[in-house]
Amino acid sequence: MINVLRSEWIKLRTVRMNWILGIIAFAFPVVITLLTAFFSGDDEGFTARTLVEVLTGTAVVAALLCGVIAAASITGEFGFGTIRPTFAAVPRRTRVVAAKAIVVVTASTVLLVLADLTGIGIGRLLAEGQGATIDFSDVPTALPALTGTVVLAGLMALAGYGLGLLTRSTPAAISILIVWPLIAEGLIGALIGLISGWHNVVQWMPFQAGIRLVFVGTDFFDGPSRVVSGLYFGGVAAALTIAGAIAVDRRDA
Amino acid sequence: MINVADLTKSFGRKIAVDQLSFEVRPGVVTGFLGPNGSGKSTTMRCMLDLDRAERGRTLFDNRRFRDLHSPLHEVGALLDAGYVHPGRSGRNHLRWLAASNGIARSRIDEVLDLVGLTAVAGARLRTYSLGMRQRLGLAGVMLGDPHTIILDEPANGLDPEGIRWIRDVLTHLAAQGRTVLVSSHQLSEIALMASDLVVIGNGRLIEQGTVNEFIDRHADRWVRVKSPALGALATTLTAGGGQVTAVDEATLDVRGLECRAVGEMAAQHGVVLHELSPQTGSLEDAFLKVTAAAQEFRSRATEVAQ
Repeated sequence: MINVLRSEWIKLRTVRMNWILGIIAFAFPVVITLLTAFFSGDDEGFTARTLVEVLTGTAVVAALLCGVIAAASITGEFGFGTIRPTFAAVPRRTRVVAAKAIVVVTASTVLLVLADLTGIGIGRLLAEGQGATIDFSDVPTALPALTGTVVLAGLMALAGYGLGLLTRSTPAAISILIVWPLIAEGLIGALIGLISGWHNVVQWMPFQAGIRLVFVGTDFFDGPSRVVSGLYFGGVAAALTIAGAIAVDRRDA
Repeated sequence: MINVADLTKSFGRKIAVDQLSFEVRPGVVTGFLGPNGSGKSTTMRCMLDLDRAERGRTLFDNRRFRDLHSPLHEVGALLDAGYVHPGRSGRNHLRWLAASNGIARSRIDEVLDLVGLTAVAGARLRTYSLGMRQRLGLAGVMLGDPHTIILDEPANGLDPEGIRWIRDVLTHLAAQGRTVLVSSHQLSEIALMASDLVVIGNGRLIEQGTVNEFIDRHADRWVRVKSPALGALATTLTAGGGQVTAVDEATLDVRGLECRAVGEMAAQHGVVLHELSPQTGSLEDAFLKVTAAAQEFRSRATEVAQ
């Protein structure tokens, strides 16, 4: 299994597009946070909470990009045909599927850990340089929310990877990954709410539940808690990947 | 040794491979022939478990492919040189392949040198020609120094030097005792490098044996004679039961008579001969004759010309 992990890691880091998307995923929350700290650090209301809210809010986009990288890591294999030499080198397909999942999830979580540390560390210095007082003890949810960004990135990568396994198509997987959380879940939630009168149903939409992982506030609007939301979204992401793994094992390569 | 038994694979209602059984022995190159759409590539994919066969099995030295712990050390396969990521370099393509089976990085340099791609190893694969990709594919096959080699159309895109190179490499590998199975449409190449043949049509085995047996059994045979007295010779041979075709004013092709009989008739009638030679059709002639009924896509060029 170590050999397969090493092989998949080499694959991931030897494609330029993965680096470009990875750098964007890292830079987007960091740059927005740093710019906010630099230009608004002297505002009266700028606090540690502001810093954490900006970082966690933009980290959702970073997590989405991690999902795109993960999806493309497997759809690209089908698109370019490299899945065949891969399975000819490792005939036990579940090993390849598992190794790739581990690699993309690990890379995504590490990426968000680095982005969080950079955003918080340098953002604090910049804001304090502008005269703000940054005290994280004022924000008891800072650590859970920042941890949530890391978990969200990992789960988003897993969900994107699962969609890639199921669709085998880069445009299809990425379209679902972008359209579903940003548009479809809201529409479906509103429709169900209209029909059934259960207006909080959108909180139980998988990706919306995942995004609750990064909430900085303590008010969860009577919906599932951070942990429950995370477990729910994690279950959906895992189910997508397991369904994809079964499909890949049964179908022709 | 490769042992394929009862292999069957369908795509919807179309049976691509139909109860196919054959053996590939070590020490020689075995040509895998069949018309377009006959199921060669599907067979190779099923042998490597890439396509899921509905029935049958393939054993590599009595083991199924999926049971091989490090396949690259045992079975090297190149099904399509285009199965690469265009954004990766040639070296990085070999790196992930080698890592998957725990092959040392130093071996990558060795195989790159073997196929003559060392100078372009760092270039992205989108800049490689088809011939260079074929060479890279062969480098991948050789990474694990396997004792079984399976290649689907390895000469595609190669220049004459490359075709000769791959022929020499494969015959050399077979001479080392490896099992080599090669599909190709270039029958002249197969005739030069292969000792054994597996011929299929419509997914079924048509024939398996040596190349010589195949040609002997199916190719046309005739006798070519040259003589300054062609008219007298033609009359004699026709009277003796031969079918005579004039090639030019001094040459005849004779069918239905053995070389010895033609010589004896000429001697009996005092006809001087300048040439008397047995002729045999090519592997291509034999192949076209054998697979005529199994040709899925037949050209109508001759009809158009008429």
